[in-house]
Amino acid sequence: MNPTSPFSFAVLAIVALSLLGLPIGHAMIGGSVLYLFLAGLDMGTAAEQLLNGMYSSFVLLAIPLFILAAEFMTIGSITERLLNFCNAFVGRYRGGLAQVNVVQSIIFSSMSGSALADAASSGKLMQKMMTQDGKYTASFAAALTAVSSVIAPIIPPSIPLVIYALVSDTSIGYLFLAGVVPGLLIGIVQMLLIAFTARRRNFPVEKPVPLRDIPRITWEAFPALMMPVILLGCLYSGITTPTEAAALAALYALLVSAFLYRAVTWRGVYNSLLTAARVTISIGMLIAGAMVFNYVITAENIPKTLAIMLKGYALTPFTFLLLANLILLVLGCFLEGTTILLIIVPVLLPTAQALGVDPVHFGVVAVVNIMIGLVTPPYGLLLFMMVKIAEVPLRDIVREVMPFLAVMIAALALITFVPSLTLFLPRLMGYQG
Amino acid sequence: MNPFFGKIGAWLRRRAENVAAGLLAVIFVAFIVQIVFRYLLNFPIGWTSELSVITWLWLVLWGAAFVVKESEEIRFDLISGAADPSMRRVMGIITGAAIMALYATSLPATVDYVGFMKVEKTSYLKIRFDWLYSIYVIFAVAVIVRYLWILSHLLRGKEPEALDSTTVSSGL
Repeated sequence: MNPTSPFSFAVLAIVALSLLGLPIGHAMIGGSVLYLFLAGLDMGTAAEQLLNGMYSSFVLLAIPLFILAAEFMTIGSITERLLNFCNAFVGRYRGGLAQVNVVQSIIFSSMSGSALADAASSGKLMQKMMTQDGKYTASFAAALTAVSSVIAPIIPPSIPLVIYALVSDTSIGYLFLAGVVPGLLIGIVQMLLIAFTARRRNFPVEKPVPLRDIPRITWEAFPALMMPVILLGCLYSGITTPTEAAALAALYALLVSAFLYRAVTWRGVYNSLLTAARVTISIGMLIAGAMVFNYVITAENIPKTLAIMLKGYALTPFTFLLLANLILLVLGCFLEGTTILLIIVPVLLPTAQALGVDPVHFGVVAVVNIMIGLVTPPYGLLLFMMVKIAEVPLRDIVREVMPFLAVMIAALALITFVPSLTLFLPRLMGYQG
Repeated sequence: MNPFFGKIGAWLRRRAENVAAGLLAVIFVAFIVQIVFRYLLNFPIGWTSELSVITWLWLVLWGAAFVVKESEEIRFDLISGAADPSMRRVMGIITGAAIMALYATSLPATVDYVGFMKVEKTSYLKIRFDWLYSIYVIFAVAVIVRYLWILSHLLRGKEPEALDSTTVSSGL
């Protein structure tokens, strides 16, 4: 690559502006405009790419709708009901509350596609419950909430998988189905680690919930538990498109919160809409910036060049996936996840396809990597959020996260090198891959 | 800041938020209408998906222009977050000037492109594309004005807003 070419200058500008703290969406638009200017192309192309790209990305509409569904669900204090429900079943084991944290995340993840939303909604309550009477250390509780939140975007619905569907032109329905087993697997390895640690560190046992209370507790959580059934039902049966399923999920959540939990006010609905709109705008700007910059990347033929370059190294699917995992994990320590998904993953995709790696499988692997990146220091948004919620130093949380990181990477290896774990469910539903 | 202008600014921001929340409500309702027509009434309609995708485009650009604050946008703050305020001020001046210049230079070509799109209309609602895409021009002008304002603050020696990565809503 010529270091004085317009492309080099554009990349340099984007990196420099981002490092200096400019919002990444603006940095990508700005850098691309610089490229157009230096290459002597029409500078209106930036607007053209952004507008046509956003206008034709119908799949992205699932993002605001899934965020809205989770927002509507939390109006009805669903988190508390779910925690009670989980506690009734797993609280009685050693380290029970820690297990509750993970199980709650697994259930919540089938309503929400966002790890940060999961940590934000259950973080405070979970922290209070776990540190009450010195049951668990604050740093362990915070670390656990951070790592268990990682599951949310792997089990459907998932915002990063919707973005991946856009950049890879893969079916959202199959991607969502593919995420189910890997998401559960990560939950299971976390629970196994807790069970193992619980004995060593002598974690407390919760008072067993009397059998006669279980029907009531289950009934209270039942409408929330039906949400994944509805969502997955729509996807499995192919009754609705995934985007329509997102709208139905939001409607269902609104109706449940309004009529069964009687918690909805107009103000509450407005606040949910505004919160969901804000998240949509932030993520939309990043996608918009990436659409402009991806035009530059494609104009310069970067992904193909990389694919040809890597061909010289005689990569096998195995070595490629290993390399991709390493790249994504290392980048995840420093970069924001959506950016990796929008810029780095599309560059790797043609090579993956040339080597015969299944695009649905690759998408799930990429998303698991990026989610692990949310809890890897120095830059991990989930860690930062828990520092704020739990008021514990980052260093202490990171120390407690480390064992979880080890088992999650082991699970990642399994997900990466045993594709049938991921592809089993989509194939069952007719995926030809 | 002059308290009078501060009040007007806050009032305008709340109205901009009303619009953003309203736009999202339109997307949601359009989808529900679409589902009802397709599955309950067995009468597929096309204009709802067109309406929702138009609204999505407007929501993102409107919101980026008027709702989301500079400090709430997704950024890489490992370095800028660690820098001391005077250093951050310098960084803010460099990035602000650069982004303003880039948006401003491309503005004429952008206006040309959007104006040129008057020849096309959307398939169902027959909205002229120059109207539809005009939101980008509004967005670009808002970005230029916003960074001009930030720049004028920084150049007068004011400290940049503190960053808080937990308020950043990346949706992951």
